[in-house]
Amino acid sequence: MELPQVLGEPIRFILNWGRKYSLWVFNFGLACCAIEFIATSMGRHDFIRLGVIPFAHGPRQADLMVVSGTVTDKMAPAIKRLYDQMPEPKYVISFGACSNCGGPYWDSYSVTKGVDQLIPVDVYVPGCPPRPEALLHGIVKLQEKIAAEQSGFGGVRRKSAAELNAPLVSPP
Amino acid sequence: MTTPEKNGFPGKGLIKGLGITLKTMVSRAGTQQYPDVEPELPARSRGVIGLMESNCTVCMLCARECPDWCIYIDSHKETVEVPGAARARQRNVLDRFDIDFSLCMYCGICIEVCPFDALFWAPDFAYAEGDIRNLLHDRGRLGEHMAGVPAPPPHDPNGEPSKEESTAAKKGGAR
Repeated sequence: MELPQVLGEPIRFILNWGRKYSLWVFNFGLACCAIEFIATSMGRHDFIRLGVIPFAHGPRQADLMVVSGTVTDKMAPAIKRLYDQMPEPKYVISFGACSNCGGPYWDSYSVTKGVDQLIPVDVYVPGCPPRPEALLHGIVKLQEKIAAEQSGFGGVRRKSAAELNAPLVSPP
Repeated sequence: MTTPEKNGFPGKGLIKGLGITLKTMVSRAGTQQYPDVEPELPARSRGVIGLMESNCTVCMLCARECPDWCIYIDSHKETVEVPGAARARQRNVLDRFDIDFSLCMYCGICIEVCPFDALFWAPDFAYAEGDIRNLLHDRGRLGEHMAGVPAPPPHDPNGEPSKEESTAAKKGGAR
């Protein structure tokens, strides 16, 4: 539904505000980064004060998926299936070197080199493992990204699968 | 068998529990308010790697020893004419020094093997990106990270003096 621009902007702001400060996180802890994720959810660096609520009951009740840890080829179909089970609007944070691009196991026969080979990622948090404050910074960055979304009553427009491929990297 | 007598009045457990809740409620929380307050990190914490280009002689040791192969170095040789020398000198000139922080596992091997102390740890951790290609930091950005490198720790007062100190002391004593 197309609203005139002057009416749409406050509504867009309010919808984005609600969406960014009420992220239910589906914690996909696979390896060591899961421990840092748990540390971030505990009392010292609480991410619940940023609006991120831990322990969603399942993918169908979650908004945000934090992939923390090494993505193996055996786990890859499960990740894709659980991501597909999340309802829109959904966001993904790739937490740690292994889920960014394979990390220290880039050479392994059984590691998927980066979870972005399977699902679209919104924020990449570097580190091995990243500090809890680095995850908080990544969440703040995601919230800034959500605030800038051009959404209205129609909901958030997701990029189509064909647009998700990065262009070829030119040789140096 | 007789029923056991309750120890106290009904509701005693509830009141004890509420007392614990009240105690937790009025005591100070230990939460570090991160986005508003920066954490106090130890000086040797590993956040990001900074490059001091003036020290780098492009020996490529860091790129070779990196277990992840996350350092990309390009260079070329230049000849430098030195007046009065038998022949012209050659020096390496750094063209490209990139560290891919999406791959980096923060082991510190590159910083340890650098013979010229061109790489340093800095405690900055807040460089998450929306696009993974922006996690490849080029030499300009690595030079900017040098601003965050803390001062080296002071010498241990009970430790052995370093080689430089002992030779200087010998020279001073001999004079």
